[in-house]
Amino acid sequence: MTEIEHILRLFAEVERRQNPLEEAQKALNGLEEAQRAQDPLKTTQRALGTLEDAQRNNPLEEAQRTLEALEKAQGVQNPLEAARRALKSLEEVNRLVEDAWASIESAQTLAELEQLRIEYLGRSAALTEMKKSIRELPVELRPQIGGAANRASRSIEAILEARGAELTAVEREERLRAEAVDVTLPGTPYPKGSLHPSQRVIDELVDFFVGLGYRVAEGPEVETDYYNFTALSIPPGHPARGMQDTFFLDEGLVLRTHTSPVQVRTMLSQEPPVYIVCPGRVYRRDSDPTHTPMFNQVEGLAVDRGLTMGHLKGTLTAMARHVFGEAVRLRLRPSYFQFTEPSVEMDVSCFVCDGEDPNCKVCKGAGWLEMGGAGMVDPAVFEEVGYDPEEYTGFAFGMGPDRMAMVKYDIPDLRLFFEGDLRFLRQF
Amino acid sequence: MHVPLSWLHEYVDFDLTAEELVELFSLRSQEVDGLERLGVMSGEVVVGEVIEFGPHPNADRLSVAKVDLGGQQVQIVAGALNPYPGARVPVILPGSTLADGRKLKKTKLRGLESYGMMLSERELGISNDHERILLLDGPYEVGHPLKDYFPIGETVLEIDVMPNRPDLWGMIGIARELAAILKTTFRIPEPTYETGGSPTGDYDLRVGAEDLCPRYDLRRVSGIQPGGRAPLFIRRRIYASGMRSINAIVDATNCVMLETGQPIHAFDATRVRDSIVVRRAYPGEEMTLLDGQTRVLDEEMLVIADEERGLVVAGVMGAEEAEVGEQTTDVLIEVATFAGRNILETSQRLGLRTDASGRFERDLDPNMVSYAMDRVTGLIAEISGGRSASDTLSHYPDPARPWQVPLRLERTELLLGMTVEASEAAQRLELLGCEVQREDGKLSTTVPTFRRDLRREADLIEEVGRLIGLENVPERLPGVPLPGGMTREQRKLRRLRYLLAGLGFVETMTYPFGPARWNEGLDVQRTLKLRNPLSAEASNLRTSLLPGLLDTAARNRSFGVRGGAFFEVGRVFEPREQPLELRDAALRYRLLGDTSRGDSDGDAAADLLIGVAEFQKVTGLYAGTVRASVWNAPALTAGFFEVKGLVERLVPSATFEPRPWTFLHPGRSAAVLLRGAEVGWVGELHPETAQMFGLEGWPVCAFEVDFAAVEPDPTPHFALFYNVPAVSMDLAILVDEEVRVGDMLDTVAQLRSSILAEARVFDVYVGSQVPPGRKSVALNFTFQAEETLTDVEVKEEIARISGRLREAFGAEVRGG
Ligand SMILES: [Zn+2]
Repeated sequence: MTEIEHILRLFAEVERRQNPLEEAQKALNGLEEAQRAQDPLKTTQRALGTLEDAQRNNPLEEAQRTLEALEKAQGVQNPLEAARRALKSLEEVNRLVEDAWASIESAQTLAELEQLRIEYLGRSAALTEMKKSIRELPVELRPQIGGAANRASRSIEAILEARGAELTAVEREERLRAEAVDVTLPGTPYPKGSLHPSQRVIDELVDFFVGLGYRVAEGPEVETDYYNFTALSIPPGHPARGMQDTFFLDEGLVLRTHTSPVQVRTMLSQEPPVYIVCPGRVYRRDSDPTHTPMFNQVEGLAVDRGLTMGHLKGTLTAMARHVFGEAVRLRLRPSYFQFTEPSVEMDVSCFVCDGEDPNCKVCKGAGWLEMGGAGMVDPAVFEEVGYDPEEYTGFAFGMGPDRMAMVKYDIPDLRLFFEGDLRFLRQF
Repeated sequence: MHVPLSWLHEYVDFDLTAEELVELFSLRSQEVDGLERLGVMSGEVVVGEVIEFGPHPNADRLSVAKVDLGGQQVQIVAGALNPYPGARVPVILPGSTLADGRKLKKTKLRGLESYGMMLSERELGISNDHERILLLDGPYEVGHPLKDYFPIGETVLEIDVMPNRPDLWGMIGIARELAAILKTTFRIPEPTYETGGSPTGDYDLRVGAEDLCPRYDLRRVSGIQPGGRAPLFIRRRIYASGMRSINAIVDATNCVMLETGQPIHAFDATRVRDSIVVRRAYPGEEMTLLDGQTRVLDEEMLVIADEERGLVVAGVMGAEEAEVGEQTTDVLIEVATFAGRNILETSQRLGLRTDASGRFERDLDPNMVSYAMDRVTGLIAEISGGRSASDTLSHYPDPARPWQVPLRLERTELLLGMTVEASEAAQRLELLGCEVQREDGKLSTTVPTFRRDLRREADLIEEVGRLIGLENVPERLPGVPLPGGMTREQRKLRRLRYLLAGLGFVETMTYPFGPARWNEGLDVQRTLKLRNPLSAEASNLRTSLLPGLLDTAARNRSFGVRGGAFFEVGRVFEPREQPLELRDAALRYRLLGDTSRGDSDGDAAADLLIGVAEFQKVTGLYAGTVRASVWNAPALTAGFFEVKGLVERLVPSATFEPRPWTFLHPGRSAAVLLRGAEVGWVGELHPETAQMFGLEGWPVCAFEVDFAAVEPDPTPHFALFYNVPAVSMDLAILVDEEVRVGDMLDTVAQLRSSILAEARVFDVYVGSQVPPGRKSVALNFTFQAEETLTDVEVKEEIARISGRLREAFGAEVRGG
């Protein structure tokens, strides 16, 4: 049941049970009685008495004023008249509420609704006027008339609010519709840089070995002949020196041809156990489609009591799976390096075809990818750095992160890595 | 090393496909680079006799032959012209396949049927000759399969022999290795020849440089039929092994070299004057070698000479003087070993690497000399009808002897990480040519002289491990007993790189050596130089990463790129002043790792001895249009403040001081200071520098900062904050245009206001609204205290600030 219906029913009840005419009649009778009880003559006499008192000052004027006041009081408080007006007001309230209901329901804008608020509830609205005149009514009538007026106000307010909410929603919808954008336009661009593909692989390898408990060791890129060669069992005149195509600087200085000198420097500076991984740039005087004069290496070294080739194999297998996925297998082949004995080459099974595809782009059908060299540290190297080869064994390994990046990201040409071509670098 | 499998089969029995052999050899011994196939791969080749031979009636360049295949006459169309009636020729039958992929069918050529094909030497894998049909000269019976006489097809293994295994540069070594892998035996030919030729002793042998020549043997073979070609079975071996057939004698020496790994030289004895002399070359001695080029030798090079002239650069190549030729009937055969390192250096200095020098430089076994000498003597006698002298001149003052290496089983198992049976280890080593005595847990091993690489226990362990198979080593992970991890600096580097990439920079890796322009452009005086750069251009080590990045930007510009943001973290190199008296100590350090000064002053710092300072730098470059404009955002181009802002992000406590670097815009460059010390620079590139690097017309801004100074992620410290509102006040200040806003902010900071939380520059204006020569600087101050600030407190502080600015800079405060 709406407030309106409620009020309408209340009014009907008032009309039925408390016929305002009868009420008015009763009020009239009451008034006459009151008039009898408070005889105006006596009042007049009292007034005259007052007048006489006043006459002693200015009797005529005083009396005159009193008379006027008396007449006014009588006119205003003409109960019959008031009762009639009250009756009319009640009818008016009913009509007003019905009117308001209809116009508010049909209002189409919030502005229109505001106009209606002023019209029905504003300072000069009929209902306001009526409330103002309530105090002119006989006391007995005031609650009924006042209550009816207040209920009417509240019901109009309620319907204003309800309609207002409806119209607000509608108007917001319209505003939002007008605010629509083309959501297919691109968003505001945020900067997007890139990391070098070799560095990505180096980071992955370093993270893996750090996870195993390795430290990361670094060393100079301009290296001495001793650390780069001699300490690694490559003495002057050794054919392996010729194979490494070294860049020479001032006498006895080279651009390091591998990161192995970092291993030597580390061993010279500490006692076993040693577990290090050495990433870095290395240089060889070689430039053709598959060689660049600079490239990256990641080498590792473990020296401890009881390390075996089994540990080397397990470590490299775990590393390969970290980089190329859990399914790959590792294969060791005999090889030759000056600073390891036994020496091995490591191959990783093709992570794309697993040897099943003779036309595989990644492994060229071989089924295996060459990853680098490794081996058990040569006792001569231990002797050079002052470790006891009888007490300690160790393994070392070296990988080319550039070539690993080539297979991992399907990059066809090594030279792209160091040319700084944005069309290449931005892909990583 | 090229290994023709038909040859290998003569020395060792195996039942493996070529592919299986490749796999097995790769996993147990040496890397196999590939397989090459020659000759006829499948089908049949029979000996035919040409009955008729004449021109093709419909084609000028073709001939037609009638060939008897033994009971069957066929017509064959040929491209060659050399067959003649009565000649025996190899005929490949339809259905056969050649190594080059051709499959033979009965066919019609220009209207005439052709059955099969007569084969050239190339098609049979004998030589590269494809002009003529091979005419079979000898006891070849018509109708017989040709493979009864020699293999008609060949598979060649290309083995990449490791530098420590010179024994594998010969078929015998390969056969021994394969036998060891397969646990079987191998056999080698027994040399036979008859003596009775002219004596070797007619000549003298003098070895004058013993250190360079451990052994030199000389033997004469005379009575040779001149001008002979080697028989097919030798020529096809030489061809399959990747060499070229020359003549019977040279082919015989090469064939024995391929068999034994021992290079052999033959002189025409009649052209040798009296003696064979092994000596160092005279300074400036010239020799015209067989490749037709005259070379100047030096005293470090060893030559084989006679009394008058040099005949051979020892171990490398012969001169024309005493070479074996068409008329040769009498030869002196040299089988010798030379010091490997000397041969290597000679061949490098002459830029001449030959099959012989490649073998000699590995230090050959002098004990192979006798066998190789007998073998080549026998072969020459066999194919050229010569007779050996009964005497051999030999210089071998210090014979090589086998040596002992003990092998402990316990140690073997430790290094390999698998169990190894003593019997297994002993058998494998014996198969390799060692003599093994078993003792308690130990194998006393005697190593033959052809395995100079087996000197120590670890060397034997490697042999045992690889022959058992590395796939049998079980995988384990070590239990690392240390806390690992990256250092603070290493983590910082990682963060820095990820931050710069996140800010839109592209990580680059540029070469650290470049042209002189690199350093001249930066006004750097002293640099390190490569002695042997790849090109004279790229010889200067960088002192800054900037030039490499500028070249990178310019290269991208040439690709049509409009601009970009690059960064690199890398090393720069500077020479360190080294006191002259440290020069010897520096060399000892660099060559021997010795850090003592060589005088009483004790050790010198290693970084002083190395004489090079390396610094790690981080460098960023904005060039051109860094990011193109889009519909709702303008383009980003290189500007000083964009780049300065990056430096402020990377070095949060940096201060900046105007500094006119020669390569930067004099009014738009600054030194980056950290706690007063210079740690880098930031600025716009000088137009001249831009032009030098091919970037003219592009806005280019860059920074370079010491990696050590960078703090991409400073350690946070909690600072108390108050839950009462802050007060914000603006102040517009008129100052002379020269006044630096940075100085104004410093001055405000020096007031050490207890309630000033932040001072922000939000506008700088020069123009018609302010008097000429003046600028308006609008500052916003945020005040914050523990208690709510009163108007009076704030106004007092603002007054103090503006008062100080007035005093210090003649500032006129316009509003607040
Ligand atoms: Zn594959």
